[in-house]
Amino acid sequence: MTHHSFSDRNLELDVDYVVVGSGAGGATAASFLARGGATVALVEAGPWRDPADYPSSTYGAMRDLFDDWGVGITRGRALWPIVQASCVGGTTVINSAICVRTPADVMVDWERDLGVGGEAFRDAIWRHQDALEAELCATVVPHEAAGLSNLRAAKGANAIGYDNHPITRYAKGCTGEGQCLQGCSSLRKQSLNLQFVPEVQQRGGAVLSCAPVERVIVEGRRAVGVTGRFREPVTRRLGARFTVRAKKGVLLAASVTRTAPLLMASGVRHPLLGHGFRAHPGTGVFGVYDDAVDMNRGATQGWASTHWRTDVGMKLETLAIPPEMVASRLAGSGALLLERLEEYRRMAMWCVAVRAEAVGRIRRGLFGEVNVSYGFGRPDMERLRKGLVVLAQTHFAAGARKVVPGVYGLPYSLGPDEIGLLENGPLDPRAYILVTSHLFGGTCMHGDPSRGVCDDQGRVHGYDGLVIADASVIPSTLGVNPQHTIMAIARLFTERLLDA
Amino acid sequence: MILWLARSAMVTLYPRTDAFPGIEDMDLDAYLLDYKRECATVMWIGFVLGTLLYHLTPLLTVLVPLPAFALSERLQALHAERLVSHPVYLVRQPVFLLKMVAGLRWGSDPRVRERFALAPYPADPGTRRLA
Ligand SMILES: Cc1cc2nc3c(=O)[nH]c(=O)nc-3n(C[C@H](O)[C@H](O)[C@H](O)COP(=O)(O)OP(=O)(O)OC[C@H]3O[C@@H](n4cnc5c(N)ncnc54)[C@H](O)[C@@H]3O)c2cc1C
Ligand code: SF4
Repeated sequence: MTHHSFSDRNLELDVDYVVVGSGAGGATAASFLARGGATVALVEAGPWRDPADYPSSTYGAMRDLFDDWGVGITRGRALWPIVQASCVGGTTVINSAICVRTPADVMVDWERDLGVGGEAFRDAIWRHQDALEAELCATVVPHEAAGLSNLRAAKGANAIGYDNHPITRYAKGCTGEGQCLQGCSSLRKQSLNLQFVPEVQQRGGAVLSCAPVERVIVEGRRAVGVTGRFREPVTRRLGARFTVRAKKGVLLAASVTRTAPLLMASGVRHPLLGHGFRAHPGTGVFGVYDDAVDMNRGATQGWASTHWRTDVGMKLETLAIPPEMVASRLAGSGALLLERLEEYRRMAMWCVAVRAEAVGRIRRGLFGEVNVSYGFGRPDMERLRKGLVVLAQTHFAAGARKVVPGVYGLPYSLGPDEIGLLENGPLDPRAYILVTSHLFGGTCMHGDPSRGVCDDQGRVHGYDGLVIADASVIPSTLGVNPQHTIMAIARLFTERLLDA
Repeated sequence: MILWLARSAMVTLYPRTDAFPGIEDMDLDAYLLDYKRECATVMWIGFVLGTLLYHLTPLLTVLVPLPAFALSERLQALHAERLVSHPVYLVRQPVFLLKMVAGLRWGSDPRVRERFALAPYPADPGTRRLA
């Protein structure tokens, strides 16, 4: 069981494979390689936090689990936060563990338009997803853990008559503590710091934490290892250098915003590196009810609808957020804000995630910082507006007295007769507060080496021993939550490496 | 100085009311020192900008050529309200950050949570696996 954390002593390791990043893609790839008998080092920029170390408050989550306090933003007309984690287990530690299979239509499009995948690829993705569902206890949120917000969303959607369902999550006996964002300290959520990372160790692999990789070591056209310096997570003090040399391959899974810049920093060249950034930006509408909903009791996210996934391009979900987040989300200040906050117990927040057609670009700045340029055009704004309207209608169908849309330029709250204001609401992205949490691209797969950074086995075109195994390879939006797809892709790529 | 200015802005954003304690009742100085020590550099820069903007703009909002901390309580409240809903995006965004940082403290206070029938948060351990 080897774990190397922050140190002032240089570290050198020799392994078969080194995997950079221990989130959905990286932890899955590393464990699968270890199962195949390879020696593996899993290198993670963030600290290793066990459930006993998890924070309780949102402040603590931002400090202890988020990537740089969640200050990453997309730069476009509006500045929208990009939320990701930086810790062992990556974003799976803070996410809601929603498990959705890769839709067939997405993979048909990939094959037709990009020359990646095909029938064997599709079957393999779903085969791996079968296995992952069993290993990570994918379970429908139990009724008793659903909580009133989730149950009311179902009631509203059923009254209107659109498809909706309780969410399936990688959670074993979720008791509905509503603390997914801070890490599930009751050990229900099967985040990968509890699952695949320990398996890497048990199978003889090494885990490095507080170890941000600075660059991939490339000799000629072959990736042979990685190097960086340990960094203390609170003081950000730099420690000693670590170098991991890999005989068989280097796998990068540092997330969409970090993998492409890492390749750039390593001198890897491809004209499309950093291109093809896509996302499902989202925002929510509060419904205010006559009785207490207590959205923080029950699964953080327990209800969803994919009814408009393909025609409009959006997904609806419930999301419980704690008072400290509602405090900044509601308009106003001072006594007026606090008067609004008095309604907290009677509020339920439901969200729309837009399957946006916008395409952005990731760049590495002068000082190594990551810049993501991305913004919504009119079609995406219309999707967003449609989503907010459906959410408002669903709230009213579920019995809400008013809704709080959080749109600049509209009244603070709207009654059932005022949905028209939302329907004709502003199309300026600056009027909305969106969060970007489902990210894709930056090193997209493509069958043609001149049109994509890697092939459908994650191998970077033009290089040997260099494989991408995270959401960066995904060349389109999915319209569903991405973790299941990312993990299946990571397993498929490593399976092919082991077979080679 | 900047912490003093931030404190003054936050007290206006989250004042004491009949229903809730104000942020001034929540060990705000210690919180601000922790925040300064712990937060990411970019976040600190945004916070400082938001604080300065808050104090330097009463002329824009309440047409008084004084820094916000020198305004009467009533005018400061009006200034804060107009600033957080200011039509210029690049004016309201930095103040949003200030409001968010204050909200993180205010909303996690045990008395506020109790008011919402939520158990107090246990302390954030801030620990990690060392070996
Ligand atoms: C709040 C939230 C809720 C979400 N809920 C869901 C959900 O319910 N279901 C779902 O399917 N998806 C969800 N997602 C999205 C999902 O979690 C991500 O899409 C997924 O985790 C991305 O996987 P990844 O492997 O690409 O990156 P990540 O999981 O983000 O992992 C990347 C890791 O690489 C590390 N790293 C970065 N740079 C370096 C470096 N230089 N050296 C070493 N390590 C590095 C990072 O610290 C991080 O730990 C959610 C996301 C968020 C933010
Ligand atoms: S809702 Fe609570 S119990 Fe369920 S997975 Fe999230 S934190 Fe754990």
